[in-house]
Amino acid sequence: MTATHRTARATRKIEKTTANADASTDATYATVTAGLHTHLVALLQTPLPTSEGDLLGALRGTPALRPAVDRGIASGLRAWLEDGVFAALGAPSAGSVRLSTSSIAGSAPRGGATALLRGSLVAQLVRLHVAGVEPSDPFDDAACALEASGRDDDLVTMLCDLDPDDHARLHAEVLAHASVLAERFPRVSPRWMPRCGVRQAIPLAGGGVQLRGIVDVALGASGGERANVCLIEVTTSVLEARHERVLAYLALLETLRTGETPLRVAAMSTADGAFVVHDVTPTLLAAAVGDVLQAVSECGGR
Amino acid sequence: MTSAVHLRNASAGEVAAILREPSPPAEVLDARLRAALSTRLRAILPRRGGPRHRIDGYVVEKGALSFTGPFLWNARAARRVLGTPAARAVASGVAGDPLTAAASEVDRLATRSVRPGARPGGLALWLASAPEVVRSLCALEAAGWATSLLGCVETSSPLGSVAVGIPDAWFEVPGAPVTLHGRRDAAVGAPSGADCRLSLLRLRDGLPGPRAVEGLALDGLVDALSAPERPLPARVVGVWPDAGVTLVVAFDGDVARAAAREVLVAAERLARPLQTLDSVPEAA
Repeated sequence: MTATHRTARATRKIEKTTANADASTDATYATVTAGLHTHLVALLQTPLPTSEGDLLGALRGTPALRPAVDRGIASGLRAWLEDGVFAALGAPSAGSVRLSTSSIAGSAPRGGATALLRGSLVAQLVRLHVAGVEPSDPFDDAACALEASGRDDDLVTMLCDLDPDDHARLHAEVLAHASVLAERFPRVSPRWMPRCGVRQAIPLAGGGVQLRGIVDVALGASGGERANVCLIEVTTSVLEARHERVLAYLALLETLRTGETPLRVAAMSTADGAFVVHDVTPTLLAAAVGDVLQAVSECGGR
Repeated sequence: MTSAVHLRNASAGEVAAILREPSPPAEVLDARLRAALSTRLRAILPRRGGPRHRIDGYVVEKGALSFTGPFLWNARAARRVLGTPAARAVASGVAGDPLTAAASEVDRLATRSVRPGARPGGLALWLASAPEVVRSLCALEAAGWATSLLGCVETSSPLGSVAVGIPDAWFEVPGAPVTLHGRRDAAVGAPSGADCRLSLLRLRDGLPGPRAVEGLALDGLVDALSAPERPLPARVVGVWPDAGVTLVVAFDGDVARAAAREVLVAAERLARPLQTLDSVPEAA
């Protein structure tokens, strides 16, 4: 089969899948090879309006214009959530409902082991980048960091067991993401108190509902007169509408966790270097409460 | 059952104020309790050439479960060991930020490992043999720990300073293969003073479990056992920054007795055939 034939056949398949795509989704997914040979990939994407310029500059803004910390909003949000949980579930037993970022905002189409490993290795590259390391071989350094992290032993085994073709593909993908990361994610000063993989675990209804999240990168320290904590979500996929919900959810958990609203939240894609930055406002937090209560009521309906 | 005050979103200043609260009159650990605990532990876990056991808050809270594999250093295991001195360096003004302080601590340990007498299997040797990437990752993890610790308690104020990064308390039970380990990440009061009751703070991960209070009480008991000449600690404060939860256990003779009973229960579990995390259902 010639290259022209292959292209024509792939295009026909794409057109067919696009025609059947659910109109309510933001992206259209299709295979471009034989059935089950590869996982679905996004072909048409409704792009999220992204921010321009420098990610950290957009996050920091003008320090003098930062709003005063609102220490009263957390208790109001918590009361709202507690009332909503009680209305949906009554008094759930301890640990019976656990919601994560993907429960709230949905997740990308499953890409199998390679996609899982790609995400984990790029997460390690983000950590190394924040720590001020310039990897000589991004793939090997990320794999080395993954092995030494002590958190993802299953993924390390998965990486070791990967067949040579998948390994080569993963290697190329990680290098591509590493180059975008190095180019688009500016160096972080240690004075900004960077933390990576910050875990959030908020109990509601006496522990019956647990809201969990992980912030990829957090900057700034809480406790001051003005809001200065910024949260960054780094993703290997293209930015979609669901990332907006992820950001709102993480901002809500941070507010409930510390009692202070963060300053800004951002999502950055290492696929294309695009990023979005949002101020954390009562409107954004209220939207996150709505998403959480929607997820809770879906749990109650099952 | 030991009780605790449950606080939500306590600020660093509020936690420091709790640690500095005046405590009731000083009380020392009952010598009979100390003797009885040692006697009972010798009976439960006699010295027969078997492994040495360690009982700490984790063992009490999780029901004496143990891990099957051998211990291996990694960035997660090293973060408290490295993060505590990093927090101390920042609190004392030696370092400007946690990441720089943690990186300095990693370098110091790695350099120390080349001296004669470095402990085999210790963190220093592991760091010295680890690639630069792993050392940087360890520094980042430790900086995260140090930032959490510094963020949960105000270390200096006109009312007095909070000591960050004090050594843990240990008590080797005489005649029994058991060591009790009490963790403490910050304290108010002089650890060597005979007339001052310590207030202890412990930083924890995740959400407080159903037996978190018993774990904190054990930390207070081991502190009292390790320094019998000193009054009992006034209180043990547990901070779970992931959840924004703070538990305050007011420590006295009754709480010490309850914690001693928990130690015996844990020792009895340890004396049974090995129970592992792998062999216990998810609900545990």
